[in-house]
Amino acid sequence: MKHRTHVALLAVLVSGAAWGQDVSVYSTTIAQMWKSDIPGFDKTATYTPATEFLGIDANKLGTDALSLHLYGWGRTDLKDQSAIGGKTAGDLTYGYLQYAFDRANAQVKAGRFTINQGVGNEMVDGVYAYTDLLDGWNVTAFAGKPVVYKNLGNVPQASISFQRDYTFGTRLGYRIKRMGEIGLSYLQDGSTPAMDLPIPETLDFTRRQLGADLSLAPCSFIDVTGRTVFDVSRRQQAEHSTRIAESDYRVGVKIMDGLRFNGSFTDRDFLYYYTGSTLPNLFDMNERGKFKAVGGNLTWTAVANLQLVADVRRTNRDEYGTATRAGLDARYNLAAQHVLAGVGYHKVNAFNVALVDSTTPSHSLSHSEARAWVMAERGAFSASLDAIRLHYSGASTNPNLIGKSIESQLVGSVGYQANEGLKVSADLSYADTPLYKKQAMGLVRIEYRFGFAAKGGK
Amino acid sequence: MSKKLLLVAASLGLALLTACAIISPEASFARTHPEKLGAGRPTCSECHGTEAVKSTQKTFAALDHTAAFVKDHKVQASQDSATCASCHAQSFCSDCHGGKTVMTPSTKLGNRPDREMPHRAGYLTMHRIEGKIDPTGCYKCHGRANNEKCSACHK
Ligand code: HEC
Ligand code: HEC
Ligand code: HEC
Ligand code: HEC
Ligand code: HEC
Repeated sequence: MKHRTHVALLAVLVSGAAWGQDVSVYSTTIAQMWKSDIPGFDKTATYTPATEFLGIDANKLGTDALSLHLYGWGRTDLKDQSAIGGKTAGDLTYGYLQYAFDRANAQVKAGRFTINQGVGNEMVDGVYAYTDLLDGWNVTAFAGKPVVYKNLGNVPQASISFQRDYTFGTRLGYRIKRMGEIGLSYLQDGSTPAMDLPIPETLDFTRRQLGADLSLAPCSFIDVTGRTVFDVSRRQQAEHSTRIAESDYRVGVKIMDGLRFNGSFTDRDFLYYYTGSTLPNLFDMNERGKFKAVGGNLTWTAVANLQLVADVRRTNRDEYGTATRAGLDARYNLAAQHVLAGVGYHKVNAFNVALVDSTTPSHSLSHSEARAWVMAERGAFSASLDAIRLHYSGASTNPNLIGKSIESQLVGSVGYQANEGLKVSADLSYADTPLYKKQAMGLVRIEYRFGFAAKGGK
Repeated sequence: MSKKLLLVAASLGLALLTACAIISPEASFARTHPEKLGAGRPTCSECHGTEAVKSTQKTFAALDHTAAFVKDHKVQASQDSATCASCHAQSFCSDCHGGKTVMTPSTKLGNRPDREMPHRAGYLTMHRIEGKIDPTGCYKCHGRANNEKCSACHK
């Protein structure tokens, strides 16, 4: 894979350059260095991975409508191996040809791409088509092979790849005049569920899902967005269950200029929500009950430069219990001085996890989080500082925290914008955590971009 | 298998052909947003006012990059990919949504504390608490992809 990725990227770089005018290349090179202080691990090891992220957009390939988009990364450890799997790694995140028509937002993609349409949030090697239709309708369809990632756990890799042989999905959307959009979508991942195989298997990695999504603003001060996902596979059904994998909705209310309220509601049924997981031991379909959450936040733009958000969210995981997270965030934007800063504090009041052994009957998951950060720019120079402090209430009894209740992290960065296309920055981070004890990490980042098709967000 | 794939491709083609007659005649959105934006999260409605985003029947306010939008953008991303694409290359999304990534978004963007990260540095400790409180929130990104590293401990 890695080899092919690099060859593909190189080939396009060369041929892309030959197309001349309308090629943009963006690259981020990151060199890191850290030593680790995890109890039980080699303390003499020094990790120095170098990582390259490379993206290429080649537009107007012969015709205005045709373009090529590639993005991938590669990592090499210059010293000790920093991640499981080897001293080098890489991946082609996406690589597709796109034909964009000049009406109806119609487009066709072929290659490797990510799709976000209704229930389909997939990485696919295949084809994709979208178009607006008359009278407010629009339609999407995609088909191909799902991108299957190698999993190092004890899940049989061959059955993941074998079951997930092809994927297909579609969405039909309808736009209501001055209201918004509603949609209905379907996704199928894999043709043969585990139980239909010649020799039936126990782990099923296939999915068949139906989804409904909406985003509506019935009047100028209220909007509703959300979706419901149904499992429509022939997988066995739990008693009294509705086959609803997920309902996730948010309602926004504009109370007055500068003051908005958002309420949210989430309901997930493990049996259906976790379908197709490649980590079934962690995301366990057989966990009893459901996950539910209700939340709300109030956003107040006090003065033009200052935004305050108060939020609270109460979650419930049936098998364990409830947790309430509440807190405040403030964000201050002094655009004229090129300064952006924020502070936040959250407290989480959570359930106890029962019995580890007879000496530690239970431990609490309650904790608090405080954070402050600032970013500033002066001419070509920039700097930022980010400080986080966590306080774990159950540290003395939680076997995962090794008795330490405070975790602190500090990340500082300085940057220099050499010219429009080149930026160099260096980060220094320091963490004192229950798990790692003390860890310092240095990082140098070189961002390079060349070309004209600069995107607003990136 | 390949027969099925062929069938899907054929019906897709057929659907596209018949669709030609009912395709909207409106011009496509600009492939890059015509106006260069300043740093930070854009508030669309500040520049655009209260009209609808072209043919989408949504107001610009629905896409204002507020704290709530940034935290919960899934429905808008799914319904308005053409609008998002005029400002965002897919690589922008891949920082947080890649199928296989090499470092946490907060490390890659360590010089951007203003960005909304799924989690911050040193998460290996904290995740044992947050994951326990709500594992379903992790499933979106780690359930079917980006979990090679997790399987070292979660076998
Ligand atoms: C700094 C001001 C500014 C901001 C902020 C801004 N825009 Fe624009 N936008 C413009 C201008 C100027 C145009 C070109 C004139 C026009 O079409 O209204 C434009 C055009 C557009 C178009 C039409 C492109 C076409 O096909 O002709 C869309 C769609 C759009 N903007 C979406 C957005 C969205 C969504 C946001 C928020 C995420 C946003 N804009 C934020 C200034 C802005
Ligand atoms: C008019 C241009 C424009 C449009 C259209 C637009 N965005 Fe953005 N978006 C931006 C800019 C600019 C940023 C800030 C990037 C930065 O801070 O580096 C941003 C940031 C974001 C972020 C990250 C925020 C953070 O703090 O990490 C998300 C998520 C996002 N956009 C999603 C979307 C989605 C989904 C759509 C389509 C519904 C969309 N955007 C449409 C310009 C746009
Ligand atoms: C700064 C990190 C970040 C960026 C950048 C980002 N997202 Fe997200 N995205 C998230 C988080 C966090 C969630 C989970 C939110 C939740 O819990 O509902 C999410 C959820 C989603 C989902 C729902 C996934 C699912 O399976 O439920 C979609 C679709 C999505 N994002 C699309 C996009 C698109 C398209 C872009 C680029 C325009 C983008 N995102 C950029 C962080 C990000
Ligand atoms: C918006 C997507 C997204 C969501 C939601 C998300 N993560 Fe992640 N997470 C990532 C990405 C991307 C990485 C980087 C992967 C890597 O380094 O291989 C990561 C890395 C991690 C790591 C490794 C951290 C490290 O320092 O090496 C852990 C542990 C983790 N996530 C746990 C979780 C848990 C637990 C949740 C739910 C509470 C969660 N994640 C939710 C995207 C997400
Ligand atoms: C260094 C080992 C290690 C790695 C790597 C790791 N975890 Fe964990 N994780 C743990 C431990 C230990 C726990 C606590 C288990 C407990 O208390 O039952 C945990 C708990 C969790 C939980 C809560 C489980 C539950 O059902 O209550 C989730 C979710 C989770 N991890 C997700 C992830 C994800 C996603 C990744 C990869 C991005 C990851 N973990 C990587 C060690 C690890």
